[in-house]
Amino acid sequence: MLQFAKFVLTRAVMALITLVIVSLVVFSLMELVPGDCAERYLAFKNTQGSSIQIANELAAERVRLGLDRPFLTRWVSWIGGAFQGDFGDSCILRVNIAQLLGSKFYISLGLCLASLALAYAIAIPVGIIAAASSNAFLNNGLRLFSYLGLAMPNFLLALMIMLIGTVYFGETLTGLFSNEYRDAPWSWDKFVDLLKHAWLPIFILGWSATAFALQTVRALMSDEIGKLYVTAAAARGVSGGKLLWRYPARHALGPIVNSLGFDLNRIFNELPIVALILTLTEAGALLIEALARSNDQQLAGAIIFLLTASIVTLNFFTDVLLAVLDPRVRKSIIR
Amino acid sequence: MTDQTANTPHSLDADQKAKEAYFTASQGQLIWARFKKQRAAMIAACVLVFLMLSGIFAPFLSTYDPTIAGKNKDYTNGAPQFPKFCDDAGCSLRPFVYGVERERSMATNFRWVTKVNTEDRKYIHFFVEGWEYKLFGFIPMDTHLFGAPEGFVHIFGTDQSGKDIYSRTLHAIWTSMKVGSIGVFIAFVLALIIGGISGYYGGWVDSILQMITDAVRTVPAIPLFMAVAAFMPPELSAEARFFYISLILGFIGWPTLARRVRTHLLTERNQEYVLAAQLCGASSGHVIRRHLLPSFTSYIIVDLVISFPYMVLSETALSFIGLGLKDPVNSLGVMLQNVTNADVLLNYQWYFIPVIFFIALVMAFVFVGDGLRDAADPYSDNNK
Repeated sequence: MLQFAKFVLTRAVMALITLVIVSLVVFSLMELVPGDCAERYLAFKNTQGSSIQIANELAAERVRLGLDRPFLTRWVSWIGGAFQGDFGDSCILRVNIAQLLGSKFYISLGLCLASLALAYAIAIPVGIIAAASSNAFLNNGLRLFSYLGLAMPNFLLALMIMLIGTVYFGETLTGLFSNEYRDAPWSWDKFVDLLKHAWLPIFILGWSATAFALQTVRALMSDEIGKLYVTAAAARGVSGGKLLWRYPARHALGPIVNSLGFDLNRIFNELPIVALILTLTEAGALLIEALARSNDQQLAGAIIFLLTASIVTLNFFTDVLLAVLDPRVRKSIIR
Repeated sequence: MTDQTANTPHSLDADQKAKEAYFTASQGQLIWARFKKQRAAMIAACVLVFLMLSGIFAPFLSTYDPTIAGKNKDYTNGAPQFPKFCDDAGCSLRPFVYGVERERSMATNFRWVTKVNTEDRKYIHFFVEGWEYKLFGFIPMDTHLFGAPEGFVHIFGTDQSGKDIYSRTLHAIWTSMKVGSIGVFIAFVLALIIGGISGYYGGWVDSILQMITDAVRTVPAIPLFMAVAAFMPPELSAEARFFYISLILGFIGWPTLARRVRTHLLTERNQEYVLAAQLCGASSGHVIRRHLLPSFTSYIIVDLVISFPYMVLSETALSFIGLGLKDPVNSLGVMLQNVTNADVLLNYQWYFIPVIFFIALVMAFVFVGDGLRDAADPYSDNNK
């Protein structure tokens, strides 16, 4: 038990260190950008018609935002806020970012986790069956599907589905909410409405993750299935699904659990673009909005940091889960 | 393969030769021999070579200038024209397309409506003279593979400003290849330096570098990529943008490669053959050059081929949302920029034709990469 607690603690510390490094990367990126928040805000104000004495105002604005402090101080204060869920104000809109993101981030996270779950719900059984069977047709079909999942990125798939949807069904299939629920407060009906719209983005986001997961599961299972302990178990008279599930599948499970974090990473990669195509109103779309239209570095940094933080958190949980499942992992604290 | 025994006397000699060839073959020859055996990978390699050639000879193969200079203002949003040999009026040896007339009036609700005039044959000629270009960037030429001197021919249709989609597709393939190659190259150099240092020194240098690499790897690449790309100064010229984008691609692609380089180095460094070479008195330069590098060049090449499609796809995604390449440069992402609007989806589906070529390109790369990986792995024979 003590060993387990030690393991969890080490992992938590490592996750924190990763987050700190990530925050440094993201923060330096925000700094490297030409022009700072003060300039951007004033430029924005200028377009809104108020005349400003640029040089004076700029200096005053910088002081007000604390941009005159040295880099390290600002980083420490940014990261301090970030861990409490406070990312400061958006550069241009001057609204607290936590407020601006609000439930949008959780919707995005929910969508991504749902597609991850979908991917593995399909990949694990199908992958195991494919590895166990010697059916060439099934295997080649799966191989082709995996390659297609790679070659046809999710956003192309989304485009194709939109194309087919419009041409053959006359529906655009976009958005996350029906009109009447868009600005309504959360309620059961709104949630049901969300589910009605969410299946398509979940499917599209899960598409290439499924292809990858299938390949991983199949490869791991094929490796394990040829091993002697499986033959020994078969010789003892265990057979069929019971044999597969109780022997090779349990061994293949470890690396699969480990790969969850990277799959989430891959899904996050696709999220903003799919969100743009399907006009979803969530964090991915907000990221594009922040980057492509308003150059809002504060908001962009916050979103990227949050996405990474969820991956790190997931990695932490999978590590702990793995330790629960597999005593060998528990014993080696740092692999 | 090594323990082939000759059964008949007359095949003994041939067998001996084959064995000799096998044992004296260079690594490259062995990989090629194994690669040739994989049907899917060979087909993919052919497709890849075909696409590459069509990219290299894009200006020669395309019928029109892919930039705005080559627009056909009489045929905007025009449907693809399929060259024919026969119609009701009889056959001809020379392929032809029909001439079109467009009109816009009250009767057509003020939309341009195209009418195909089946009486009016426009014959397709080969090796016609057209816009001037520079083949390989330096040979000035104005000959094109085909064209319709009396009228026009757009086999994939045209976009909203009348640019020929076929010509743009060919140029876009070339752009993707260039972006991918530069990106892969930069990623590779970075990976070699960082992974090399990490794997060579080991110890705490390795631990710290690995920690940083892992942290960078956790950040979702495309959002990060978007962030960097978004803050490009908008006044950059198209060419400068192009290099900037390839640079970013390289800077974001390195962690995975660096990890591979490091792992290879760490495992190979402690192999017996390295120790043997050292005991024979080989200098470390000799060990690195003659033993370590050859031991993993094939793996590195495979990794590069495999990471290529990711580069291409990232570029496409970025250009698609308008943060990547911009108009005079053609790339799939640029070409797909406007397709989400309902007008295109409902009326001009030929905007999607380039997608097929890109899926083919990426698939070809993936298959070739996979084939190469199997071929480069000397132990893969044992599994089959």
